[in-house]
Amino acid sequence: MTLNPVKWRLPPAWTPYVLLSPFIILFLAFGLFPLLFSFYLSFHSWEPSAGMDAMQYVGFGNFIFSLQDEWFWKSLKNTFWLAAASGIPQHLIAIPLACFIHAGIKRGRNLAVGVYFMPYITSTVAIAIMFTALFSTNFGLINQALKELANLPLIGNLLPAEPIDWTNNSDTIKPAIAIVVFWRYVGFNIVLYLAALQTIPADLYEAARMDGAGRLQQFRYITLPSLRPIMYFGVTLSVIGGLQLFEEPFILTAGNGGSDQAGMTAAIYLYRMAFDFNDFGAASAMSWLLFAVVAALTWLTHRVFHVRNSPT
Amino acid sequence: MSLDIQMTMTDRPRERLAKSGDSRMALWAAYALVAIGSLAMVAPFYFMFVFATHTRAEIFNVPPPLFFGGSLRENVAMLSERISFWHSLGWSLYVALASTALTLLFCSMAGYAFGRFEFKGKKWLFALVMGTMLMPSFMNMIPTFLAMDALGWIDQPRALYLPGAASAFGIFLMRQFVASSIPTELIDAARMDGCGEMSIYFRIVLPLLRPALGTLGLITFIASWNNFIAPLVVMRSPEMYTLPLALRSLQSPIDTQWGALMAGSAIATIPLLVLFVLSSRQLISGLTTGAVK
Amino acid sequence: MRTIARPTQDRIGKLRGIVRRLALPALLLASFCIPAQAQTQTPHTVLTVAAFPSVDDIVKAAIPEWNRRHPDVEIKLVSRQYTDHHTAMTTSLSTRSHLPDVMALEIHFVGGFTRTGALDDLRLPPYNFEADSTRFVPYAVAQVTGPHGELTAVPTDIGPGTLLYRTDILAKAGVTEADLTRSWDSYVAAGIKIKAATGAFLIPNARDIKEIVIRTGIKPGDGIYFDGNGHALVDTPRFARAFELARSVRQHGLDAGVLTWSSDWAEAFRHGSLATQMSGAWAAGHLANWLAPNTAGLWRASQLPEGVYAAWGGSYFAIPKGSDPAHKALAWEFIRMLTLEPAMQLAAFKEQNAFPALTATYDDPFFKEPIAFLGGERARELWRDAAMHISAVRVHKQDAFAEEVVNGELDKVMEKGKDIGEALADAQRLLQSRASR
Repeated sequence: MTLNPVKWRLPPAWTPYVLLSPFIILFLAFGLFPLLFSFYLSFHSWEPSAGMDAMQYVGFGNFIFSLQDEWFWKSLKNTFWLAAASGIPQHLIAIPLACFIHAGIKRGRNLAVGVYFMPYITSTVAIAIMFTALFSTNFGLINQALKELANLPLIGNLLPAEPIDWTNNSDTIKPAIAIVVFWRYVGFNIVLYLAALQTIPADLYEAARMDGAGRLQQFRYITLPSLRPIMYFGVTLSVIGGLQLFEEPFILTAGNGGSDQAGMTAAIYLYRMAFDFNDFGAASAMSWLLFAVVAALTWLTHRVFHVRNSPT
Repeated sequence: MSLDIQMTMTDRPRERLAKSGDSRMALWAAYALVAIGSLAMVAPFYFMFVFATHTRAEIFNVPPPLFFGGSLRENVAMLSERISFWHSLGWSLYVALASTALTLLFCSMAGYAFGRFEFKGKKWLFALVMGTMLMPSFMNMIPTFLAMDALGWIDQPRALYLPGAASAFGIFLMRQFVASSIPTELIDAARMDGCGEMSIYFRIVLPLLRPALGTLGLITFIASWNNFIAPLVVMRSPEMYTLPLALRSLQSPIDTQWGALMAGSAIATIPLLVLFVLSSRQLISGLTTGAVK
Repeated sequence: MRTIARPTQDRIGKLRGIVRRLALPALLLASFCIPAQAQTQTPHTVLTVAAFPSVDDIVKAAIPEWNRRHPDVEIKLVSRQYTDHHTAMTTSLSTRSHLPDVMALEIHFVGGFTRTGALDDLRLPPYNFEADSTRFVPYAVAQVTGPHGELTAVPTDIGPGTLLYRTDILAKAGVTEADLTRSWDSYVAAGIKIKAATGAFLIPNARDIKEIVIRTGIKPGDGIYFDGNGHALVDTPRFARAFELARSVRQHGLDAGVLTWSSDWAEAFRHGSLATQMSGAWAAGHLANWLAPNTAGLWRASQLPEGVYAAWGGSYFAIPKGSDPAHKALAWEFIRMLTLEPAMQLAAFKEQNAFPALTATYDDPFFKEPIAFLGGERARELWRDAAMHISAVRVHKQDAFAEEVVNGELDKVMEKGKDIGEALADAQRLLQSRASR
């Protein structure tokens, strides 16, 4: 028996609560309260500048309005398209790229990863200016590059003759946004997968090679299953992030969702409802509808990537 | 045979790749692709720094300037005279550091609780916390303002770094880590040795969580540094502005000083770059150890 | 990848550990010790003025004069980006707390705040603004008149619309100013000639024509998109004509398809590929200063085509409900100084290019001065006359939404060839369903 000076010991039963308490206190005040406020607000009609007393109870009116609003559904459709178009390539490209960096680049690895991670650090203001300049119709570098490429024999025939009006045309604004989102977050996913790859024991690959498995088979039967838990983490983040896309479309469409609302994601429509169209109640109702959609999809992701040993 | 077993990790795959003739072609093609990709990643960044050294008229030129110009001093001077740039930089630094420190502490404590303890309502609480990640931040502006006002925290930096310490993402990450990197046997052994709960946390759990702390620290710092909605809601005096807010106040619907704005944005990015370089190793090892297992 | 020797690394690690352990308590201690705001030594009043660029420059320039008159009252200027400012104001108004004593507002937002009763009625004591309100350009005051006659803000500057055109391009195409301004149809016809002779575009965007034409011929008491009873007005000849003109411009390739304030737009000016620009009078200043100084002397100004008068922008000062009652009288003094004193209004005009809203300034010789950039034209007289003819429009809560819808339908008409009648009917339907929200 060790002799300890008489000291008050935290009873083990209390420990989780003590550990949680700072977090919980902050969460109740700044996490839960806004949630409850917006829930309450979704049953009211309110223009903020009129003051708190101007809230008028409308029951489910806001929800009914939202569900019948064609722009709400349009924004949801845009959101799904953009989330998929920007999210799927992120993972499809990050995995092989991470594998290649892992296998092929030794000395410059931190530099390579760092370079791909840089877009994540860049501030929104800088991104806004840069990409509006890049996508500029007559003078942007992207169109200029395309113009040069159009001179090449084979690819040139596939490219359009006129310079593409990326941000004003309702058909091209979506790919433009998807490109920017991809650019911004692919590095994050590369880092994720790269680190995961580093924890796969090499003897697995050895054993497989001994058994005569080719590189592709090794990838399919060893790499992919080992990456599964990290794919769950990454895809969940992409789903949540993709469905809440706001900054990039906001930047490229100057805050209004673009021609024919082609670039208007649900989050942007929400923002416009609240701050441009002065209908905070409807905006709150829509944010809860969006919440439900994201929650449902997150749960779906959880089912698909069901990780057996994860603590729940 | 024995040689094979010794060369375990990363050396083998590369030698394997370099073996055959067209594998080498594929290798070089892959290198080229990665290089082109890197250029695409860095280009906007590069242009931000280039534009920081040009005047507004030059930036709007066609084609835009591709190399550094000579107007950096002029732009920085404009910055300091229109907004208190360095002052705001100081505030941003202070808030980001405090935010990072508190977030690391509170989220690791809570993550440890969720990951290694069982208690009533654990699942519901965790789901609730995750739920807050699903609400867009601008919807929280008015209730946050209400809460801050009630607490008397308007115009105070603590209104910026305290709420963020309850980060749902932080808890998610920490919980995954704790679940995988902290063996229960270690904790049980420590308990049996008579170690108090809180000293288990500080002396055993925290050090083991170092990669996760590095990762979360970097992400939190970046998020706090670039955040402009929170200061917009809470800061009512220009002396208290953080950098994003101060830089935005340079933007006018018809008269933005683009050169100065770019210079400000470029300078604002430098601390993040420095931080990233310092912690990149942590980040690479840290982001996944927990999530993998 | 170890680059330093092991013992040094351990020492670094230990140092890091110590720093980390001390950092947190130190920071926490510091945070509670740092005072929220610097304490001023002498107790005196502080008047908070919230503004955005470029109104903040006007306020800044006025502070020395204010300090001369009221040495014991300090003006604290809180400036934010244009949208940020209005968002912050909305947030403050929602809880009626931390409101500035004087609030600068842009014309786009002031209607909403007027409608929701967020601003003090300036007809009441201690303001008693009603008598003085006639000293301003009529439409600017009408714009801030509430449904029950309340006056909620004081105009400080206005943006009378003007047509700027390149006299050299017109000459080359054999087109005169009269051709441009006689009627919209002649404007478009002139554009076709200009395109054929010089290759220059008539206007930056076909949408610009739509914007102006829908603002003409509005019945008094009606708004642009909704009438006095909240009924949507999109299915009317006014909109049909606007759409037809815009489509015609697009079909003839007369618009450059650029958005204002983009680098494309700026370049178009420098390269001389834009023949005309309809905008607020302040655009001439920007062209001269940095947009296209190389084109000095080549531009002229005229009234808008077909005798239309419209405004682009305009700023106001207001006193929000819920601001500190002890400061309201002083706040009003400040506002009066900036808006009712001809000397201050003229100073803002000369230094910040803010076109005065106070009509007493219009006799000043400054208006008669030739403007070098416009080839010596006395454009200020032109703009002054335009200002007196602009009429106010009623604001409706769904105006922003309506603008969005109409723009969307116009794009479909121009890009996808949608029938105008169908487009307007769709817009009408959408607007009508929202009109009563």
